[in-house]
Amino acid sequence: MNIRGVLIEETFAEAFTMRVARIILTARSPRWAREAALKLTGFATSVIGCKVEAGIERELPETETPDGRPGLSILMMTMGKDDLPKRLIERIGQTVLTCPTTACFDGLPAAPDRLGVGSALRFFGDGFQSSKVIGGERFWRIPVMEGEFLVQEKFGMVKGVGGGNFLILARSADAALAAAEAAVDAMASHAGVILPFPGGVVRSGSKVGSRRIKSMIASTNDAYCPTLRAITTTALPDTVNSVLEIVINGTDTDAIASISAGNYGGKLGPHHFHLRKIMDGAA
Amino acid sequence: MSGLEVKLRASLEAAADCSALLAGAWSGLPAADLARRPVGLAGRGAVSLGELCEVTGDATGSVRFVGDWRRATRLGAGLTEGAVVIEGDIGDDVGMGMAGGSIEVRGSAGGRAGAAAPEARRGMTGGELVVHGSVGREAGALMRRGLLVAGGGVGDHAAVGMIAGTIVAFGGVGPTPGLWSKRGSVVALGDVPIPSTYRYACTYQPVHLRLMLTRLQARYGMPVEARHLTGFYRRYSGDLAELGKGEILAWTA
Repeated sequence: MNIRGVLIEETFAEAFTMRVARIILTARSPRWAREAALKLTGFATSVIGCKVEAGIERELPETETPDGRPGLSILMMTMGKDDLPKRLIERIGQTVLTCPTTACFDGLPAAPDRLGVGSALRFFGDGFQSSKVIGGERFWRIPVMEGEFLVQEKFGMVKGVGGGNFLILARSADAALAAAEAAVDAMASHAGVILPFPGGVVRSGSKVGSRRIKSMIASTNDAYCPTLRAITTTALPDTVNSVLEIVINGTDTDAIASISAGNYGGKLGPHHFHLRKIMDGAA
Repeated sequence: MSGLEVKLRASLEAAADCSALLAGAWSGLPAADLARRPVGLAGRGAVSLGELCEVTGDATGSVRFVGDWRRATRLGAGLTEGAVVIEGDIGDDVGMGMAGGSIEVRGSAGGRAGAAAPEARRGMTGGELVVHGSVGREAGALMRRGLLVAGGGVGDHAAVGMIAGTIVAFGGVGPTPGLWSKRGSVVALGDVPIPSTYRYACTYQPVHLRLMLTRLQARYGMPVEARHLTGFYRRYSGDLAELGKGEILAWTA
């Protein structure tokens, strides 16, 4: 398949099931909501090294937040369902509780799985915390030096999909970057989707395992490294000099099916997004 | 209309104790079964609701009381479920000891709204009691949990012995609110006298009030103004003669 002179390879993107929470973060101004969101989603590119993958889903106007203040929607994802509450508690506790004027709400109210987050963070209040039930949901008021930090007691958890991806094989590094930036811009603020890597782009795509060290779960994807073309089994056409990857996590397969290819021979996960089928639909 | 409607055939001739009408499970009851529930009429004893009212409609978890219910007491006592609307004023002890569901009074309420029964240790323990008009004295006495709202003023000794929960007053609050309160909140959007056993803490913007007031506006059409959402509140802690974890949040500019 060829779209506007770009070859679409016959392959599929391979993704895996993750657990997802959606955090609605508000603050007195967009500036402070973003400050908290950037810290909350920092160092959260891959569960391999960060234990969690997170990103800003979209900005929320005052009309879409529970407290009528400017906010942001954030998705946080882990592999195991037991990991998610731990990551939520430590990250919200260290990055949102600490940030001036912020409050933190559940963005998945219909999810039947409920995780105790505010119920754990409340202990920071050292007995001075109090709670209010509003509309059937409990919220914790934790006294802090600035005033009060408000956090919802429970957050919803659903199954999502992580690691959906496609590779941009370009004739030059500039062309790869331009294409990646355009792709990220097109996907920005798409509901139910986050791009957890820096700027949404990965330059160091990995393969499962290592040729030399058995304990490593991932190592450089040598088949796609242009500098290794002459000494490894390359997957790159002769004209390719730079490769970038876009990794997409979503709350469901519908959320990423429209944008998702890099697979690992079926070793990574059970969700396979066949690129040509997808691009057929988009062309 | 959807839901049940209870319409008085004539004005009540005497005080009517309605405590048995909505206590326990009622939201699944057909009109005929609700009509058989007893009302204690002063001077006559127990009569069936159907004797005093036309009860019509379907069981959908909501009920509207239509007519002059000012002599009705303890309506919604022990409520645990459903949505109750009273189209007008209501007498004393509305929502006494209620534990869930909602009561919306589209008029004013008498004394001891949401309070405890004389023999009980706790007032309302859950649910929402929203009065568009004013409420009488001792509103929310011994309240343990839940939300009590007055669109107008609140009488004296509101929240006396309050254990927890929230009272929101859009109008003025009468003398000595929150005496012996342990953890409860009195939110005053109008004038409020601060008892001597409360101590000023700070002036700030409580974020949870934005949630609470926004919900009251959206669900019940309460007269929330932008200044209530964006303004500052003076926080007084008390009752310091008790646990002292209660508060009066008094709106200021």
